[in-house]
Amino acid sequence: MNDHWSHKSDVVVIGAGLAGLSAARDLVAAGKSVAVLEARDRVGGRLLNHDLGDGQVTEIGGQFVGPTQDRILALAKDVGVETYRAEVPGENVYVHDGRSKRFSGHTPPDLLALPDMGIALARIGKAAARIDPAAPWKAPNALELDGMTYETWLRKAEITGGGVDLVNIFLNSAYGGEARDASALFSLWYVATFGDETHPGTMERGTGTTGGAQDSRFVGGSQLVAQRLAVELDGRIHLSAPVRRVTQDSTGVTVVSDAGEWHAEQVIVAIPPLLASRIVWDPLLPPQQDQLFQRLPFGTLMKCVAVYDKPFWRAEGLSGMGLLRGGSPIREMFDNTPQDGGPGVLMGFLGGKEWRKWAHRPARERRGAVLRSFAQVVGERAFETLDYVEQDWTAEQWTQGGPTSIAAPGVLTSYGEWMGRAFGRVHWAGAEFSPYWNGFMDGAVRSGQDAAAELLAQS
Amino acid sequence: MNTYTVTETAVINAPVERVWEVISRTDRYAEWVAGAIEVTEHHGVAALGKTYAERNRTVGPLRTNSVWTVKEIDPLRRRVDTGTGFAPLQQVTSIFELRPTVGRDGGAEATEMTYQVEYAIGLGPIGILINGFQEPGMRAGMRTSMANLDRLIRSEDSSLAR
Repeated sequence: MNDHWSHKSDVVVIGAGLAGLSAARDLVAAGKSVAVLEARDRVGGRLLNHDLGDGQVTEIGGQFVGPTQDRILALAKDVGVETYRAEVPGENVYVHDGRSKRFSGHTPPDLLALPDMGIALARIGKAAARIDPAAPWKAPNALELDGMTYETWLRKAEITGGGVDLVNIFLNSAYGGEARDASALFSLWYVATFGDETHPGTMERGTGTTGGAQDSRFVGGSQLVAQRLAVELDGRIHLSAPVRRVTQDSTGVTVVSDAGEWHAEQVIVAIPPLLASRIVWDPLLPPQQDQLFQRLPFGTLMKCVAVYDKPFWRAEGLSGMGLLRGGSPIREMFDNTPQDGGPGVLMGFLGGKEWRKWAHRPARERRGAVLRSFAQVVGERAFETLDYVEQDWTAEQWTQGGPTSIAAPGVLTSYGEWMGRAFGRVHWAGAEFSPYWNGFMDGAVRSGQDAAAELLAQS
Repeated sequence: MNTYTVTETAVINAPVERVWEVISRTDRYAEWVAGAIEVTEHHGVAALGKTYAERNRTVGPLRTNSVWTVKEIDPLRRRVDTGTGFAPLQQVTSIFELRPTVGRDGGAEATEMTYQVEYAIGLGPIGILINGFQEPGMRAGMRTSMANLDRLIRSEDSSLAR
């Protein structure tokens, strides 16, 4: 084995998304030698900027941050990435069965659905408050909640079914799926994570724009945070280095990647759980942990972005934000224009069953369907695009879905306790392992920092 | 049994070839035909003698399942299908006819589309009464369908990109 192939460091971090980079940063600060191995030829994982030209970008991966997302906000500030308010002044549009209706504030103008939604929100708030974000499987009625889908649980108190449909608008982008894909326990836990140590999670914070999870965006795009971290980690990140095998024994860990072999004292694995289960482990992962990782697949999500010469909808008093029910391919859309106001960008989520319906269709037909959804919100000038971009996260080899893991009934109560449990010299990080803002950028940063702290405590 | 014919005409702002291409796709009717909620079975590009099935809205919250058979194809000119599942309407025949014309800006190629539905209703005078209720809705639906078709084709036209 030649020297170029074989390397040594105190710690190997697998994955250069926010979790891995955050972990590496703290380890380096603590004096450890660190190698970060990244399968892609870029850093950022599920954060990805799309170049609009003239130095402007729009995000085609994770992008929003908000109050109580303390870790990502502090980290971004540390690396000099500023935030700006995401919400655009103007009226939102609610589309139901092809009819568009303008509205202000957060409440869709749907008299038939609102009673259901009110009941659903009250039940969600009450049930989520009983769940410990760090151990949802210990909730008083965990077995019952984990024995049914979220849809089954929601329908127990429905009147018209409109509440489930409105919750599904949110889950379409949040899960890349629907309420029927996840267990009730997982979904209520997910809500319980929309906070921090001093602010219990609430649905309103998770779904809200100003004051909620969609409060702000990063100047220069969210991937800039990862890129700045990469600059700080000067020379420690190895791109195009997918890890194939991890071997550990009493003397250390050997990590075999396409770009070489690393010997280390400890490893932090910061990649999606399902992909972690596909690494060759020697010895094998504890079977319960392996089963858990196999049961935490990502949803199915595509981000669809249309670019215009300017955000024309703003002059018509529209915010560009739309909620669409009743078979529309896009269920939720936003004005994704860069901070300085041009070019205009509309972004919509194509997720879950709509993704299943449209992902395999010819690109021209899918683009048309997306633009027709946009047109229902901002008018038919939506057809006059400068550019149109899709980012299908299911087609990314090193993510295989998006935006986060969803647990079906039975998973959390059967295997949840194995979630972040260290395996010998191996520690786990990733947005899916966080007790707060699970699946979000903040959860990724928190999990990376916590994994680094756990590792340092053992050293 | 009384027979009825409802005809609507519209200009689609696209060449006949493109309009024909879209209306020939039996899997796409839910994208533009008013009242077609979903195509439940299809055979892709329409072929003589083959069938496709839809779930349709009828009146208010009522739904029906329909099956259509392709009866006549005169490429770029005429398509005739017969449908079942629309009781009390019987012997339902849908006819699309296309003819090249000039677009609304006076220059671009466009298509004059005639959408005709023929059907029969039994039940004597009650049938006449039923038709009095349903025909205006059918007519509006046909106009909406052709407007939807025009919008669908424009939304897929990358030449609209600036």
